[in-house]
Amino acid sequence: MGVIDIGRTILEEFPLALFGSVMVGTLCAFLGVYIVARRVVFLGAVLTQVSVMGLALTFLPVFPVPHTIGSLVITLITVVIVSRLITGSKVPRDSVLGVVFITSVAARILIMQVAKRVEVAEIDNLLRGDILFVTPDLFLLMTVAFVMAVAVHLVFHKEFMYAAFDPETAQTQGYHAARWDMIFYVVAAVVIAFATHMVGDLFVFGFLVVPPVTALLLTRSVKMIFFLSVLIGLISPVVGLILAFRLDVPASPAIVGVASVALGAAWLWSVVGRGGR
Amino acid sequence: MLPFVRFTNVSLGYGRNVVLRDVSFVIGAGEYFGLVGPNGTGKTTIVRTILGSLKPISGTVDVAHPQGRPLRFGYVPQRDTVDAVLPYTAREVVMMGRFRQLGLLRRPGAIDRDAVAKSLAQVHMEDAADRTFRDLSGGLKQRALIARALASDPDMLVLDEPTNGMDLASRRAILDLIDDLHQTKSLTVLLVSHLLDDVANHVQRLAVVDHKIFSVGSVDAVLTGTNLSAIYDMPVDVAQVRGRTVIVTGGRDGSH
Repeated sequence: MGVIDIGRTILEEFPLALFGSVMVGTLCAFLGVYIVARRVVFLGAVLTQVSVMGLALTFLPVFPVPHTIGSLVITLITVVIVSRLITGSKVPRDSVLGVVFITSVAARILIMQVAKRVEVAEIDNLLRGDILFVTPDLFLLMTVAFVMAVAVHLVFHKEFMYAAFDPETAQTQGYHAARWDMIFYVVAAVVIAFATHMVGDLFVFGFLVVPPVTALLLTRSVKMIFFLSVLIGLISPVVGLILAFRLDVPASPAIVGVASVALGAAWLWSVVGRGGR
Repeated sequence: MLPFVRFTNVSLGYGRNVVLRDVSFVIGAGEYFGLVGPNGTGKTTIVRTILGSLKPISGTVDVAHPQGRPLRFGYVPQRDTVDAVLPYTAREVVMMGRFRQLGLLRRPGAIDRDAVAKSLAQVHMEDAADRTFRDLSGGLKQRALIARALASDPDMLVLDEPTNGMDLASRRAILDLIDDLHQTKSLTVLLVSHLLDDVANHVQRLAVVDHKIFSVGSVDAVLTGTNLSAIYDMPVDVAQVRGRTVIVTGGRDGSH
């Protein structure tokens, strides 16, 4: 089957997978620029794991809520607590994140052991990132989160920018830097919770990091960094899905793989092509 | 002289930890005021209180409201505290100084771009305006941060250790620039530094901050060998060389 035929098949048979992965790819690549700029990349990894743990919790009788709601609630609670702990705490930021990361991974493993066997398989699917079977409800939720996140960032771009670049001075100019940080983290948490449910933790964390870092290597303009990162977030899922069909491999790793190849090429270009410039 | 900032019997600290007690001083409009002292004695705590980021534990801090609005501070942080992962240009950094005037929803317009260009010109950075901030030398970074403070149209410039880690020529150039801004723009300036020589030769009045001593007055009255020897717990002499004040530390044996 040729590339065009595969593309047509994906578009006809799995349109939600295609548009959903492009939506998550572009949005995570966009938010990822802020995450990389704030040096909180590990927070992305933590929130994806917390989100999965929240999702796993909903398989237990003690937390009888819809999967997406459970994931969202746990992720939001975590982000509120963690964002307070990582600013002004005596414990180093990466240590706080490390504790939350390992605790959520351990909790998820325990939950999987306690849950019924069939549900364990369902959680496994989720963790592997089976994006081909996105439900219309989840796609709709993700679309709402996409519109909300883009709107908030378009309206408050300069506030997020200032609070991340120089929080101390921003504070003296009347910006409550910690409050803007909190708004940013809450928006990121909502996106990560829905996106992780839809496309898996590997995809989400991969796109929070790989496209922004690739863009950082390619350009010295902040606007171009956002543009290139989003462009990589848009192209990689399309190419990755086609490759996954062609090579009969899981979609999420294939998509992240494509983005990583772009990162490798960008790194080579920055070392060899641009040289000492 | 209209008082811009007045501390009356103020105690400062964080939580239950009192850093400074019974601090009283005034910074008048148009004044060039210095705040000096060893590291970790509370200079930054005073600055944070002036800027409104920290509330005093006791006492009163009065900040003027010129023309019925809050006093506008142009704050220049220590340049190492600015985290430039993204490659903002110097011009983009200076534009951040306009954000307060813009408010929440407005985007920068022609007036803001003009203000940024003027601020860059005031610190003689027109040629470096479109260079990446993180790639600038320490001196140029400091100029860009001063330009950002100027772009906010401040009543008072607050500079925290602006010459820290600079070579002699860059230090002199930054201090001359601050002198120039004070004189030509009639800006009130608060210069915070642990480098006594820098402050001694530029400010009109100063405060020496230490856990044991908090004294305010003219440079000659406050920066004395006796005061400094007590603060630094070592022999310190204050001398004049070619009309400039220099601070000289004594030998380890306590000799002057």
